[in-house]
Amino acid sequence: MVRKDSIRRQESRRGALMAAPMACFAVLLVALPLIYVLCTSLVSGGKFTFSSAFTLDAYRALLREDYLRVFANSLQLAFFTTVISLVVGYPFGYCMARAGRRWKALLMMLVIIPFWTSALVRIFGWKILLQANGPINGVLRALGLIDQNIRFLGSYGSVLLAMVYCLISFMILPCYNAVDKMDFTLVEAARDLGSKPWRAFLTVTLPLTMPGILAGCVLVFVPSVGLFYLSDIMGGGLVLVGNLIRDQLLKVRDWNVGSAMSMVLIVLSAGIYLLYRKAGGDNLGVF
Amino acid sequence: MKKVFCLLLALLALGTCALAETVNATDEAVLNIFTWEGYIDYSTVIKPFEEETGIKINYATFSSNEEMFEKLSAANGGDYDIVLASDYMINAAREAGLMQKLDKSIITNYDNLDMTFMGQFFDPDNEYVVPYVAGAPLIVYDPSAVDIEITGLESLWDPALADSIGLIDDARVTLGMVLLSMGESMNTTDEAVLAAAAEKLDALAPNIHVLEYENLHNYLLSGDVSVIYTFTPFAALALESNPDLQIAFPEGTMGFGVDACFIPVNAPHARNANLFLEFLLRPEIGAIITQWQYYCCTNIPARDILGEWYTGNPIFTGITERLDDIEYVLNLSTEEEQKFQDVWTSFKLDL
Repeated sequence: MVRKDSIRRQESRRGALMAAPMACFAVLLVALPLIYVLCTSLVSGGKFTFSSAFTLDAYRALLREDYLRVFANSLQLAFFTTVISLVVGYPFGYCMARAGRRWKALLMMLVIIPFWTSALVRIFGWKILLQANGPINGVLRALGLIDQNIRFLGSYGSVLLAMVYCLISFMILPCYNAVDKMDFTLVEAARDLGSKPWRAFLTVTLPLTMPGILAGCVLVFVPSVGLFYLSDIMGGGLVLVGNLIRDQLLKVRDWNVGSAMSMVLIVLSAGIYLLYRKAGGDNLGVF
Repeated sequence: MKKVFCLLLALLALGTCALAETVNATDEAVLNIFTWEGYIDYSTVIKPFEEETGIKINYATFSSNEEMFEKLSAANGGDYDIVLASDYMINAAREAGLMQKLDKSIITNYDNLDMTFMGQFFDPDNEYVVPYVAGAPLIVYDPSAVDIEITGLESLWDPALADSIGLIDDARVTLGMVLLSMGESMNTTDEAVLAAAAEKLDALAPNIHVLEYENLHNYLLSGDVSVIYTFTPFAALALESNPDLQIAFPEGTMGFGVDACFIPVNAPHARNANLFLEFLLRPEIGAIITQWQYYCCTNIPARDILGEWYTGNPIFTGITERLDDIEYVLNLSTEEEQKFQDVWTSFKLDL
């Protein structure tokens, strides 16, 4: 017993040693900058120094109707992105998990390969497809569905499309994982006992794959709140939290308010993650 | 655990010392340039200079004028030998004493510069700055997609242009355009004027289809918008791709900007910097810069090399003709800048 304990202690010490470099990096490159942002958000009149007095002025400056609307805008866009990703991504993940080996490999490739290309390049690809004299309008015209080119770019829909396109793999993979791990004999049992397919899905498959759905929603929703460059590239002209933070830092040069906005965004993201954990969510290892 | 941590800290400290111990020799064959990514072309400008002089160029980049100023102040006007940035920030750098005078015994071709671009607010006595490019935002439109004739800024409010304009996504530039259309200054800090401009901007909302900072010409060329108000290079690129497009200048005062080079006060290789500026001012290099950047050429003999491509272009010549009535976007205080930003944010929220 005593020996076992000492071995365990030795092992845990070795573990700590192995983790030390990572911990150093995490402290130096993640924690310290974040603490600096927090400190900057709590002072006024420029960057944080040790002599500056703490104040909540920067947070008070955030309590304005326009800024609240911006946060609402970001949350709304993130919500729509998540819902569409779920509606499209879950069936995709489900089919991928239930497909034969060759199909599975092919579908997996379709999800993974775009990951290897820069998101920027892929979004510019969409811009070319969607532009007024682009291929999509060309096809619609050739089919006689429209007489005048549709100006897709700059619309809310085009921004939403870009968001879903960039983030949907984060929905597909956890859903796929959950369906793949599920014991399908349970569904068969339900069917044998006379359950209709949709009922078996709702009462067996859906609850069993809920962890995957939740993980996918968190993985899509959290980055969606902060993503703003996609709206800018699609010409959407939306004001999202990211735009607001960038403009505060680069244009207005108010570091305190910019930092306060960043802190709100970080707390929001952390809050969503905590809610997810509270709802019984696992760690977010996708693969 | 503690030992390892100490060791790591020690290593880190050592590394920092080594970095700080960089050589600071003035006659070193090195030149440190600080500007935007891709603003000085490597193969046509930097490489020929390196080959001719044997001076190695280090090209450091910033993403905004503000970042440049931050870093240059932190370095106390040192570290960099040439800074290429925008007019208002150059003025801030001059006022902060971060510049040194040009050595015109080295820059013997300084007189190649077009005097109409000179003596500006950021360098009233032409001592510190070599203008690199100059330009003004202007209107470009597709006459086949527009039912009216666009004669100036005021035409943008015409109901015939519903949902068909692309504007620059920037508070100072676009709100500035509205102010100019009202005959007001782009740098006004008058609350009442700004409120009136905000109202006029809101009235433009039904006509706006796209807001983007750069590359608006792509939307015009693809037919996604019919009218754009955009910076000089994008206007010139649009016109080059489709010569049927038309341009329109502001009726009154024109917004204008210059990007220029200066030598920081404590530049480690000031002589090399002056040599580089002499190189930039050569007519053949000036011509190459204009062909790359699509801005107005500040170098008179270079225009002869560019010939009809430049002198026959209505954008370049039009801007040069209007230089007697221009206004720069100036640096405002944080509070004033915030007012512009607030108007812009609430405008975009209601778009």
